[in-house]
Amino acid sequence: MFKFLINPSRFNKFVDIIFKPLVIVTLLTLIIGLFFVYFSPLDYQQGVTVKIMYIHVPSAWLALLTYAIMTIYSVVGLAFKIPFSFIINKAIAPIGAVFTLLCLISGSMWGKPMWGTWWVWDARLTSVAILFIIYLVIIFLNQTFENREVREKTIAIFILIGSINLPIIKFSVDWWNTLHQPASVSKLSSPSIDISMLQPLLIMTLAFSLIGIIIAILRIKTEILIRKKHL
Amino acid sequence: MLKKIFLFLKRELRLFYSNIIDLFSNILFFFLSIFIFIFAIGSDEQILNTIGVGIIWSLLLLSSTLSIRKFYEDDFKNGILIILHMGGMSYELIVILKIFSHFVFVQIPFLVSIPIVSIFFNLPYNEMYNLILTFIIGSLIFSCLGSISASMNLLNKTNFSIASIIVLLFSIPVIIFSVGANSIDDNFNSLVNLLIGINLIFLGISPWASAAFIRLAIRNS
Repeated sequence: MFKFLINPSRFNKFVDIIFKPLVIVTLLTLIIGLFFVYFSPLDYQQGVTVKIMYIHVPSAWLALLTYAIMTIYSVVGLAFKIPFSFIINKAIAPIGAVFTLLCLISGSMWGKPMWGTWWVWDARLTSVAILFIIYLVIIFLNQTFENREVREKTIAIFILIGSINLPIIKFSVDWWNTLHQPASVSKLSSPSIDISMLQPLLIMTLAFSLIGIIIAILRIKTEILIRKKHL
Repeated sequence: MLKKIFLFLKRELRLFYSNIIDLFSNILFFFLSIFIFIFAIGSDEQILNTIGVGIIWSLLLLSSTLSIRKFYEDDFKNGILIILHMGGMSYELIVILKIFSHFVFVQIPFLVSIPIVSIFFNLPYNEMYNLILTFIIGSLIFSCLGSISASMNLLNKTNFSIASIIVLLFSIPVIIFSVGANSIDDNFNSLVNLLIGINLIFLGISPWASAAFIRLAIRNS
């Protein structure tokens, strides 16, 4: 059933079926999400700037998720010798870079009115900036080597080494005293988000990930076409 | 096997002596960049004393990235890596020996320069002692990173600066913890323990990763 995740022709067939409904669902989710965000309550301290959260948090999650997907596909590609995983690695690296940049920019725009500064050198911000640099190095490595096998496997091993950064980003707010607040989305932790803000946040996360999936599908299809042409 | 390892190290030593002027140029680069840094920020003793450790560390890192392209390139082009492998040494063992010899022959000589440089910055005696201790641990990590990025770029013919970028990227935690160990007095032991932990992580990763890269390069060259 999940063969389309590792097989290019199955992927193409599957994507041709779901692409149009996916676009419609994405547009609907985005409109509903923006509607919810517009009518979401203001924070009693932060005022209207709390609405930056509905862009900042989804893009941060998706930046981490994209890297995690790349890590899983690198393991799969190296261990089981599946070339499709390298296509995915190449296709979704720029998407992750864009989400990381979006997270950094929206975060500093949120930080200026709330913390009084665009940028502080605390652990969370620094580790996300390093994640952005790792994404850039992956994109540059994609243009570097002449031999395709060398290029793909080099990038896969580099992604595996760079995945040390993921737990550091996740736990940086717990390990060190940072200006950035710890995660408060989970209902189990003691200071947690109110349900009226959680609903638009989750809908916006869904919309962002659907947008990411659409761009990823387009890029993967292009990459498959390019490889078919050069074979 | 022990005899093979001994012969390998002996060969590395001989190569190193035939090429010792390269090491001297590296150390000269380090001294000159320290001078240029001091000229750029002025000779105020107070400022130099506070930022000295950070500057020494970052310039040590930069001058150790100068020599990383030489790590495997000669042996790879001569075909000596293949011959060693056919002689019964696994690539992982070759990588470990290479890291060890790079640490002993290239990084340890930098230790001599640290007391001289700390005179320029008026560092007190105990800070210099801490600096040398953290450098012995940290330079082994630099050797591991150099091995990873040099083996990654064996077949890279166009984009040379990416090798240095990879070393700089992964040495960020090393810089953070080693400079922190020198600037915060009561935290010295815990930060040195963290540094040793990072060292062990990279000692575990780098033979595996470098051997994979070398295999890939030999198969496709």
